[in-house]
Amino acid sequence: MSILVNKDTKVVCQGITGSQATFHIKRSLDYGTHVVSGVTPEKGGEMHLGLPVFNTVKEAKAETGANASVMFVPAPAVKAAMKEAVEAELDLVVCIAAGVPLKDMLEVKAMLKGSKTKLIGPNTPGIITPGEARLGIFPENIHHKGKIGIVSRSSTLTYEAVIETNRANNLGQSTVLGLGDDMMIGIDFIDSLKAFHGDEETKAIVMLGHLGGTFEEDAAKYYKSLKKKKPVIGLVVGDAVPFGHKMGYAGDVITKGRISAQDKKDAMQDAGIIVVNSIKEIHEELLKLFPKA
Amino acid sequence: MNIHEYQAKKILSKYGIVIPKGKIAYTPNEAKKVAAKVSLRGPWMLKAQIQSGARAKGYFLEEKAGKKAGIRLIKSRRDIIKNAEQMLGSTLVTLQTGPKGKSVSRIYVEAYTKVKKIFYAALVIDRMASALTLLVAETGEKEINELALNEPEKILKIALPLNHGVAPEQIRKVLEFLKLPPRSGRSLKRLINGLHKAFLDYDASMIEINPVGVMGSGQLVALDAKISFDDNALYRHADISALQDDYEEGERELQAAKYKFTYCDFDGNIGCIVNGDGLAMAIMDELQKRGYSAACFLNVKGGVDKDKIASGIKIIMTNPKVEGILINILGGFLRCNLIAEGIIAAASEVGLNVPLVVRFEGTNKDEAKEILQHSKLPVIIAEEMDSAVDSVIKAVEESE
Repeated sequence: MSILVNKDTKVVCQGITGSQATFHIKRSLDYGTHVVSGVTPEKGGEMHLGLPVFNTVKEAKAETGANASVMFVPAPAVKAAMKEAVEAELDLVVCIAAGVPLKDMLEVKAMLKGSKTKLIGPNTPGIITPGEARLGIFPENIHHKGKIGIVSRSSTLTYEAVIETNRANNLGQSTVLGLGDDMMIGIDFIDSLKAFHGDEETKAIVMLGHLGGTFEEDAAKYYKSLKKKKPVIGLVVGDAVPFGHKMGYAGDVITKGRISAQDKKDAMQDAGIIVVNSIKEIHEELLKLFPKA
Repeated sequence: MNIHEYQAKKILSKYGIVIPKGKIAYTPNEAKKVAAKVSLRGPWMLKAQIQSGARAKGYFLEEKAGKKAGIRLIKSRRDIIKNAEQMLGSTLVTLQTGPKGKSVSRIYVEAYTKVKKIFYAALVIDRMASALTLLVAETGEKEINELALNEPEKILKIALPLNHGVAPEQIRKVLEFLKLPPRSGRSLKRLINGLHKAFLDYDASMIEINPVGVMGSGQLVALDAKISFDDNALYRHADISALQDDYEEGERELQAAKYKFTYCDFDGNIGCIVNGDGLAMAIMDELQKRGYSAACFLNVKGGVDKDKIASGIKIIMTNPKVEGILINILGGFLRCNLIAEGIIAAASEVGLNVPLVVRFEGTNKDEAKEILQHSKLPVIIAEEMDSAVDSVIKAVEESE
């Protein structure tokens, strides 16, 4: 078991002929991911990495049964590529590109509403179910099949959390996903917590948040409302960022007032989430939860 | 990217938003000349053009600039030259500029507009709702940030659809909330729809009019204006990119932006290079716990070009505030070996004069470590973030 992707997920790569896509799809194939086809407009009919290339997602789905897309198109092309994926009714799209224009994302989010397609990203390292499927750019060698679900807003910190689960008697990971670092993203902590709670294999969850938005507060509220809870370990970074610094997202100051990393941690703590203050405490808490390997 | 008030007003006026008559001046003489064109007898507003809010509550660092702030009401013509002389070339400090302030290179001369009341209006994106959102509030003497923090109920938020403007019932709601006379309705509709259209046409990330003035006739007028543009959409707007005021950006920020990296200055002495904002924040937190802080951060994001990475590393290596460098890269999209090669290229050009601690994880990390070990550069390689932070602090303390 796992969430969102597994060995049966049939993956199409949008933008497969690009150099980054080529590098990472080859690795995903080597990893055992069930990649079935690629899409690059005007290159339909060609073969790439031993996979058939189609002009459109619709054709790729019809011909190869793809139900999930990993999208390597550049940010300016994301809106059009998303439109194709949503219209083809794929279950899942993983969008790697960083810096998708806000206006395009407003339109993408409107498209997703009421559709059956879920979006991970943009600006995400993707999603990986160890030993089964890698959709994205995760360094696969650090992942091991196991019982901890990991969900993170920050790409780079995701890897740190993975390493922490390994440090804790090799507890390993059920599924690891990055929500994405762009201002507007697809699925969030709530969707992820919901999915991890429905997955038998996942015994505990690590969630990594940071300044900006109210993703953590909303997730805490949701978690608090759950009758049956799996243990969640949470970290929020950004304590040391001076208020008003460009590092965060300036718009938040106007819409939400001044929210600190501490406010987020307080909300999480109040909901019963085990809040830690640095990366290395993650494996310490995991060892307390699972004293015997 | 931000632009100046006078540039923002020019854009908004194209969308039917009423602005006071005004002209820009670069010298005191110009200020006097344009003042006559803007209003025959005055009074006038002289407004220092720096990209910062709260200019009316700021102060100048130089004594010659006088005690008054960056927004001045001028009643007689001879005071125009005097005040322009004071402000031009002086450094204005506001709540938003930091203690160093910003130098004033131009002044906007505007006809003073008498208004009965003022309010705050902005169009922003609510990221949690993924919606264009209109914000209005009667701020009175308070800053909008204060209201957002302490009295959020005094800010009215209205989601606007993407494909059309404001609905009649939304107009009524705003009129009522701001206690505006019904005769302001038409002007309000024009204002909101102007904001809406300008926002979408120009790929803005925020448009703020603080304040909007209400004239005796009920007419609304934008007394100030600020537009921030979505950096990720600037490629669609060459005309806006051309307005970028390099004077407003730090030299290192500009250099970094050239390579599509981001650079931020802080007050400490450790120069950090990372490939993600979350990672940067985590390192700042760890430094702070140990009583240290960063001098600067360079985020090379998913950079894949070795030469650009080398140029980025040089920005940090040549920063005189930096007494030690911490490079923490978690390779995914970005391959660690490119960073290693970039370090060597940068060091061979500008020299490595401070301790350097490197921590690699992920894509091609072993290759990267090998490259550095063969380079004979005095690089300390760490295995985890914690030990990397410890190592760089220890190395800095020892080199003192």
